[in-house]
Amino acid sequence: MDTPALNVEEGRSLPKWIRIVAVVGLLYLFLVGVKSLESGIKAFGADASERLFSNISNPVAGLFAGVLATVLVQSSSVTTSTIVGLVGGGVLPLSSAVPMIMGANIGTTVTNTLVSVGHIRQGQEFKRAFAGATVHDFFNLLTVAIALPLELATGFLSKSAAALTEVFRGQDALSGAAPSSSPIKEAVGYPVDVIKDALEGAGMGTGVEGTLLLVVGIGLIFVALAMITRNMKMVMAGRIEQSLNTMLDKGAGIGAMVLGMAITVAVQSSSITTSILIPMVGAGILTLKNAFPVTLGANVGTTITALLASVAAESPEGLTIALVHTLFNLFGILVFYPLPAMRNIPIRLAVGLAELAQKNKGWVLGYVVGLFVVLPLATIAVLR
Amino acid sequence: MVFELFKGRGDSQVDAIEEQIGEMLATTHETLLMATDALFRRVPPDDIAKPIRKADKSVNKVERSIRRALVVHSGVHGAQADAPLLFTYMSISKDIERIGDITKDMWDLADAGVDLSMVPEKDVIEQSVAKLADSIVEAARIFAERDAEGAASFLNAGDEERDRYEALMLEQVDSTADARTAVSRALLYRYVNRIIAHLMNVVTAVVMPLDRLDYWDEDKMDRT
Repeated sequence: MDTPALNVEEGRSLPKWIRIVAVVGLLYLFLVGVKSLESGIKAFGADASERLFSNISNPVAGLFAGVLATVLVQSSSVTTSTIVGLVGGGVLPLSSAVPMIMGANIGTTVTNTLVSVGHIRQGQEFKRAFAGATVHDFFNLLTVAIALPLELATGFLSKSAAALTEVFRGQDALSGAAPSSSPIKEAVGYPVDVIKDALEGAGMGTGVEGTLLLVVGIGLIFVALAMITRNMKMVMAGRIEQSLNTMLDKGAGIGAMVLGMAITVAVQSSSITTSILIPMVGAGILTLKNAFPVTLGANVGTTITALLASVAAESPEGLTIALVHTLFNLFGILVFYPLPAMRNIPIRLAVGLAELAQKNKGWVLGYVVGLFVVLPLATIAVLR
Repeated sequence: MVFELFKGRGDSQVDAIEEQIGEMLATTHETLLMATDALFRRVPPDDIAKPIRKADKSVNKVERSIRRALVVHSGVHGAQADAPLLFTYMSISKDIERIGDITKDMWDLADAGVDLSMVPEKDVIEQSVAKLADSIVEAARIFAERDAEGAASFLNAGDEERDRYEALMLEQVDSTADARTAVSRALLYRYVNRIIAHLMNVVTAVVMPLDRLDYWDEDKMDRT
């Protein structure tokens, strides 16, 4: 007997509550990872840190280092959490970290651009999907084009973030007072201290100790975030579907932006949110104009990961750089969303590029490899 | 829409698509009854023009909503989405949308002046259409309950019914009645035949694989 078309097999899936408990545990591991990374870098000593990051002291090189790192790990959350760990540990200056955070914002858009390439054989569908993906790129590129020079000239993002850090963590937060402690920090620091003691007890040099802590830290951040995203996506899939269906019925706007933010906070990945949109935009059921605010919301939502990472960071600068990430995205929204004329700039650029890409597929390869690989590598090589 | 993320049990939207299919069948059942009332002049056709059009639009709207939901579902679940199931829903919703169109066509006959209230075969036609209305309800039940046995008997009975209406339709070719009567009867039998065929397509999904949906009548050897 053939299998009937409506034979819906129940998936062998873990109960939701187990996944949620697992996510709480994974969040803890994520914070341990940030702490371990911070301790690992510190173990190398101040000189080593200086040498490590002197190559990217140029803000443009820093920007493209952020792009490249995010493209390589396919997750801005991993990059920004790592940056928070480095800044929080006092080994990466805030001024160098700001362009890197902006670069991470650009780098993360490669994922949904690659998803849109999956539609490449369907002319119109590809055009819509590619525009849907690259509108995110153009928004980030344009925001960086405005915010980075402005930040370099005035420090408006880092100063605002520092002021907010003072509000959140107290007046003396940035005044060089001893790092504050909390039960979470103590809980997060405990396993790292155990590892450090074990490594010291084994008589390993600071280089080996630092390397091991670094590897453990990056590994935990990467694995924990990937598993948080995977589990939360499974927990939230039905709700995400339901809310997107409602959005398609009711239209977009600020609500769609908040939805994009909420989905991203829930699954801890803006790439998941923006990639979900691509088939919808490609199929033509979601217009580019309506997808745009969801993308902007996802951009803000993804900054929650860096904010979470700052909980484990030793110094308040960790929170400051995480807030820079949030403020940068909010600034972009303020510039490019409220006024239709400004809103249309990234949309038109995306449509224009998609038209070129539809006519000549060489544009796709040139754009993806050029923007996300060649340009960052070349810039870093020239400016280091 | 943001609150949708936090309210309810967050079940898969496949369940919502199933509900929408049930809703479409319920609406077509309602439209068929309205069209029948018009054909037998229990109500003047003009009086139900608006509700008929509204019901037709509602079925079309739900079909579009199902299509969107299917795209969203495949977007959210990616490779984990059950593609054959999604194609099946697409196919079924198209069949039900066609039923909605045909029931509206039946009302169009009444609106064009066809009046079955005084014809000699009134009772036979009325019983046939009532049976058809019951078939829609039965198809919805079989679909919702995945009743394989019910599906098999529905399909076998449907075969016989379709053969009967095919014969009745072809009889009109040799009819000596006036053109208006012959054409209206041929159309009516054709409509009933097509509605049964589309209902059978819906029900085949309960017992047949995706590639053989809609091809029950080409596969008689497999019916036992």
